[in-house]
Amino acid sequence: MSDHHTNLTRRQLLSALAGAGLSAGLPWLPAQAAQNDASRRILVVMELSGANDGLNTLVPYADDAYYRLRPKIGIKANKLRKIDDHFGFSPGMSGFEQLFKDGRMAVMHGCGYAQPSFSHFTSMAYWHTGVPNGGEPYGWLGRVADAIDPKLTPNFLVNIDERQSLAVRAAQHVPVVFDDPDRFTRKGLLQSRALLDNGMQGNAANPAQNFLHSVADSARQASGLVRAAWDNYKTPVDYGIIPLDLTKVAAMIKADLPTRLYYVGYRHNAFDTHVQQSEQHQRLLTYVSDAVTGFMKDLERIGRADDVTLLVFSEFGRRASENTSLGTDHGTANHMYVIGKPVKGGHYGDVPSLTDLDEGGNLKFTTDFRRVYATLIEGWLQHADSKTLLSGDFKTFPVFG
Amino acid sequence: MTTGFHFPSCIALALATFVSSVALGSPAIWTNDLSPINHADWNRDRAAHLLERTGFGATPEEINEFAKLSPSQAVRRLVRYQRIANPQPAFEHSGAFDAGLEPFATSRPAATELARDTGESLGVRVKPEGNRRIQQVADRYLYWLRASKLESQRIGYWWANRMLTTRRPLEEKMTLFWHGHFATGDEKVRDYRKMLKQNEMFRAKATGNFRDLLIGVAKDPAMLAYLDAAVNVKGAPNENFAREIMELFTMGVGNYTEEDIREAARAFTGWNYRGLDFVVNPAQHDADVKTVLGHTGKFDGVQVIDIILAQPVTAEFVATKLYRFFVRDEVTPELRMKLGKLLRDSRYEIAPFLETIFNSRDFYSDEAVATHIKSPVELVVSTYRKMGLKEVPGIPDFNELTDSMGQKLMFPPNVAGWASGKSWITPGLLLVRGNFIYDTVFPQIDFVANDRVPGSQYQIISVAEQLSMGKDVTTATKPDGKELSSMSMQADRDEDFNTRLASYHAWRKAIEKVKPIPRTTAQLDVTGMVRAAGCKTAQDAVDHLLVRFLITPVSSELRKKIGELLAADLGTTDLKAADSYMEDALRNALHVILSLPDYQLG
Repeated sequence: MSDHHTNLTRRQLLSALAGAGLSAGLPWLPAQAAQNDASRRILVVMELSGANDGLNTLVPYADDAYYRLRPKIGIKANKLRKIDDHFGFSPGMSGFEQLFKDGRMAVMHGCGYAQPSFSHFTSMAYWHTGVPNGGEPYGWLGRVADAIDPKLTPNFLVNIDERQSLAVRAAQHVPVVFDDPDRFTRKGLLQSRALLDNGMQGNAANPAQNFLHSVADSARQASGLVRAAWDNYKTPVDYGIIPLDLTKVAAMIKADLPTRLYYVGYRHNAFDTHVQQSEQHQRLLTYVSDAVTGFMKDLERIGRADDVTLLVFSEFGRRASENTSLGTDHGTANHMYVIGKPVKGGHYGDVPSLTDLDEGGNLKFTTDFRRVYATLIEGWLQHADSKTLLSGDFKTFPVFG
Repeated sequence: MTTGFHFPSCIALALATFVSSVALGSPAIWTNDLSPINHADWNRDRAAHLLERTGFGATPEEINEFAKLSPSQAVRRLVRYQRIANPQPAFEHSGAFDAGLEPFATSRPAATELARDTGESLGVRVKPEGNRRIQQVADRYLYWLRASKLESQRIGYWWANRMLTTRRPLEEKMTLFWHGHFATGDEKVRDYRKMLKQNEMFRAKATGNFRDLLIGVAKDPAMLAYLDAAVNVKGAPNENFAREIMELFTMGVGNYTEEDIREAARAFTGWNYRGLDFVVNPAQHDADVKTVLGHTGKFDGVQVIDIILAQPVTAEFVATKLYRFFVRDEVTPELRMKLGKLLRDSRYEIAPFLETIFNSRDFYSDEAVATHIKSPVELVVSTYRKMGLKEVPGIPDFNELTDSMGQKLMFPPNVAGWASGKSWITPGLLLVRGNFIYDTVFPQIDFVANDRVPGSQYQIISVAEQLSMGKDVTTATKPDGKELSSMSMQADRDEDFNTRLASYHAWRKAIEKVKPIPRTTAQLDVTGMVRAAGCKTAQDAVDHLLVRFLITPVSSELRKKIGELLAADLGTTDLKAADSYMEDALRNALHVILSLPDYQLG
């Protein structure tokens, strides 16, 4: 807690100085501020479950092959939100268009892995662990938390969902997982509070009991902070129809919780668009675009835009050609999006060919998705050793500074 | 130890369990041993464990009854339940469906476009003239989505009441297992009648033959709708069902190729449904030669199912999943092989397989006992059972409760069903689970029924109010004044109808058609419970509640603290003195006890 307060004070000081146009010239500030900045950096990861159709998200409209593969569900060039002379976003994604044009979005092309799985659940587990075609009990963000926060700061790792994602499972950290902040509180009468709010159980007889007791501890530590953050948060910013839990993240960032890693998702396999996908898919993308854009605006409003980077991904893309039901089947390589003010926007990685497909009619991946993880671990979170965390040497992209 | 069974002596019961808890540990060699336990090993705790796992918990009376049997008799009574009379009411349809709704449009745009093209859709004709000429089509489309959802929620209640009152607990437990295994949700099926029909099939075939069930599932209208059978046709196979049958229903990932899926999909082409009936459309069926899992022939779906069932890995996969559901999460490769052989040797008959498991030493080993984290449905129903309730309360709402914990009947999250074990528990969910107890013992007085009162997402209430004040539709349906996102701006772009107006109409009509869920609170009588148990002191009452509800013992320090809490609330340690007013204090103590993390174990 003392760190927490120190940070707050220093930040207030910095912003007061900045307001007076003074911070740049003060000799005693930069070193400490720089170090401080790195320790204030936050990564938010958003999964789009169900396999988002990347080709109909950021459409390569200048490539005729796209329209040959997708004669019915291909989106016409004049309907797209063009970001350059080759690509355009789906019609509802005005926010993504703007983020790209503002230089705040890195589009990572052709992300995937060798010997891809076409099962949502298996492939998602590979992305969660960062270990394709292998067994790994912990999630990549769980491992990152253990590596960059050996002190085991409470509330360091937060997952907003109905259930815990494999991505945040850690050997050391107990992630804070909740869905609705209003429900993240224990009801109980005054005379029972002492029994309800304190750890009551001694040493447990079996591992299942021990597990329950450690989760109960985490709940006790987090619930008051999260609820207060949510109760004190009000925003004039519109996050669209479905804020995708990003308002909750903003509330916690605004309250200066010590959380550095957030995990949220578009839930329930929403992007599994096998049939009649056009309208539904565009709607989903609009929600994502609106929510992400609202979040970025809100970060500006609360003065934390420099401290936050957002990663958007999906477990795989969809087949290059449309199917006969006006939908798409499970595919392979896909875009990842790295978004935020600290990001050097633009295109990264090679764009997969639409004419040189694999034997299943799928895109050949060009970028191992773990290169993007490594970029975030080293470039953003400033942890030099992504090699150990990812069990491999993955070349980073110059997305950050 | 048998001297402890003089129920309803409160002290004796508490003693019996505390004494036996100390002696509970089972020999380490029982782990992974599927041979049956001896009669001499049978006791009240093991009977309680058996009832906890095969059903939805039990009252002390039921446990005592089973403790008196031999283990094999007890298991037989639970597994071979067909002879036990179990009168249960059939689901009472509200009458929300009418034939004009079929075939139901794949989407709202599909419904309204059909109306534009043909002048009629969903049994509703387009207005010849005037404003919003196809409003009623949009209304009706949204009406049915809403009505089907409400009826599915009523099915949830109907089923939960069966779980609570059944005399065949394993029948309902297996039905729940199959619902998770062959996960199908009304969100996509959009027809509660199909969901009900599927549920009845799961129940009828619950402990029968797996092949029989698998074929039933492949021909089940709800499943066919859920996994896109309608578009799986000759020349353009849709892989969804073929993939999931191999990956999730029978073999698991890594035991087939993408080519096997493509070929198997062809065998299921033309399988479809009309209304509530399975139909094969011969013109859409691909009758040519396929090669699936190394076998080649002009296979249809049933033949592909038989090829899959002949794979050793299928029996292992299904047997292990059953084992995880009933016994424990960790299964060694050796045990997995043993279980697979057991199921194969029983020719995929589920009942004898379960009988062997429930009699086995491993089932009563330390690795198995008190290590299972209850699913939300198990938690809620078993709590009500142990509370002695005769019906599932309407406040709190059963569906909302279990949904907030991650499990809603008829609405599994996706085709993989519900993950189990530790994934049921997060810090947030642990609090939600404790609050469920609070809301049951001290029900909310401002409870709002979500099947009647709309949330805010479509501003339905505001639309209704403004119309009633004489506002025009455009004004009444205008979204509130926030800066609009791109989505909000396109909401009303269609001029032939207004979707916000349709949401309001649909809601109103659904309320009119669908029967309400009775909103009674739990008819709880903790006073009667401790009285019947012969408890004399506050500590007796706490000890009785601990034993009645918890499967693991708690420290004597904690026991005492809860005893002191109750005594302080009562103003005395003497229950007799407090007899006329002790209900609320007992309920508060019960809330504390059932909020212990350990209560999540079954």
